[in-house]
Amino acid sequence: MKTLIRSYLFTIVGIAVGVAGLIALGAMSERIVRFIEGGDRFVLGQISVAGRGMGMGAGFTAGGLLPSATLRAVAAVPGVDGVQAQVMLPLNPSTSQFMTLTQELVLGMDLSVPSPNRAFRTLPVQRGRFLREGDRRAAVVGASFAASHGLDVGGSLELEGQRYEVIGVLERMLTAPDRFVIVPIADAREQWVTKDAMLRTLLASGAAALTAADLNTGAAVGWREGEDPDAVARRIRERVAAVNVQLPSELSELLRSSTAFFATLTVAIGALGLVIGGLSLANTIAAAVFERIRDFGVKRALGATDVQLGREVLGEALGVTLAGGLGGIALAVALGLGIDAWAARTGQQLFFFSPRLLGGGLVFSVLLGMASAAYATFRVVHLSPAEAIRRGQ
Amino acid sequence: MLRGENLVKTYRGPSAPIPVLSDVSLRVGAGALTVVAGTSGSGKSTLLNVLGLLEDADGGAVWFGDVCVSALSRSAKSQYRGRSVGFVFQSFMLLPSLTALDNVLLAGKYVGAAKAESRRRAQALLEQFGVLARRSHYPRELSGGEQQRVAFCRAILNDPPLLLADEPTGNLDDDNAALILRALHERAEAGGAVVVVTHRPDAVAGAHAVHALENGRLRKVR
Repeated sequence: MKTLIRSYLFTIVGIAVGVAGLIALGAMSERIVRFIEGGDRFVLGQISVAGRGMGMGAGFTAGGLLPSATLRAVAAVPGVDGVQAQVMLPLNPSTSQFMTLTQELVLGMDLSVPSPNRAFRTLPVQRGRFLREGDRRAAVVGASFAASHGLDVGGSLELEGQRYEVIGVLERMLTAPDRFVIVPIADAREQWVTKDAMLRTLLASGAAALTAADLNTGAAVGWREGEDPDAVARRIRERVAAVNVQLPSELSELLRSSTAFFATLTVAIGALGLVIGGLSLANTIAAAVFERIRDFGVKRALGATDVQLGREVLGEALGVTLAGGLGGIALAVALGLGIDAWAARTGQQLFFFSPRLLGGGLVFSVLLGMASAAYATFRVVHLSPAEAIRRGQ
Repeated sequence: MLRGENLVKTYRGPSAPIPVLSDVSLRVGAGALTVVAGTSGSGKSTLLNVLGLLEDADGGAVWFGDVCVSALSRSAKSQYRGRSVGFVFQSFMLLPSLTALDNVLLAGKYVGAAKAESRRRAQALLEQFGVLARRSHYPRELSGGEQQRVAFCRAILNDPPLLLADEPTGNLDDDNAALILRALHERAEAGGAVVVVTHRPDAVAGAHAVHALENGRLRKVR
């Protein structure tokens, strides 16, 4: 191996650069895929209900008010198993909301009800703990939010003039909750009233008979075992007035269409990675074989058959692509981690080096390397030894 | 032992074909050192390549004993070369990535020779030619004379019955040239067939036969 590395150092470096490009672009693609898949998993795990009309609610709870009486009506629909009231608000309403995929949100959760979302019964906490019923002025923050705001367990943040203690930081999920601040629903309701002047006026006027329990922007609704979630959602639509009910499959479709640009970008980045990295690698291997054309001519003069020469070249190509591939992966991971460490200051993570990407990248590199070596060898052995020696002079 | 019969070889030129060998026939017996002389570009290297199956002739045949070796398959030709032919090139043709010893051992690698026996014989040959102390050196670390001596050891590692040498002393000083010529004679005296092509036939004293290659045709001088 040592001799191989010494003899093929430049080839190995060339392959490493090509593989690093492939892996780095693939990791960016994986990052986007994780974001979209995470959102998809979330919306398919629950029926999302919001009040009909316009309001402050953000994300899947966008819509009007969802009073407690409506929540009770939803809970009474056959097939429903668990209704969790939620308040979801933009952290900063003055910020343009066109980039909702990366928007920072406040999520108020009714902690007296277990999470009905089948994909996220609990959110994974990396440090500290999750919220419990009875907590007030406490917050659990997503990993990106914590990084970009410099927060950790024991720290505090101010939301609408109130100080909240950070009691937990979520694991990085590479999807929306990474940018969430999760608080008890009572605290979120207070923030909503503070943020929304119209709601404040309405409550002060007494024109609407509202209690705190009525201030919900949405609800996560679960379904009984064996029920078809889309059928339960349709039943809610039929039986409960003044609600927007998202069928999980519809919402998933909606999410996919709204992220179509990113999905296409993912494919494009992946394809670009394959083409750039693949071409670089194939060219390097083929060039390394053609560079030694004189040596192959001499070996054939000494009696090497096509099979012996092919086996020798493929064996070397395997060693060289493995060394270059592993070097390229190490280079890409080092670069990616370095860039992510810098990007973490703003809560971003640009790369995700999944095992499937690293394994797939290595296998792809080795297979392509072997194919290139086989092609180059095929070309070389079809020359006469004298011609091979002449061309290599 | 070796016969080239009615050999024809033409290269493609930019505007017209270039005839190199025109109906060339040559017979080389065991125990003989045969010289083929010719000016630069006369086709003597091509003749040597054709006789050693390093390239195919356009016409004619090469026989080794009673086998028409020019009609063998590509793999069979390789095996024939490995077992029966040793090559000495003007520019040595050592592999730069291998040490002197490994370059010599390369000749045994492709003919299935026992590794230990090959190594023993390679070291004995390197010692015989005065380069054993340089066995771990790479070609770039050797002088021209040393490189040719290593290349000669490689050519005779498998004790081939036929040795083909293309200007073997062309890049050597007088002492090293004399050493290589003496070794070629010794191969012939030991019963091998040796063919040397050179543009200076006077440099190969004591040859059993000398041919001149002119305008693609071979003429026996003595």
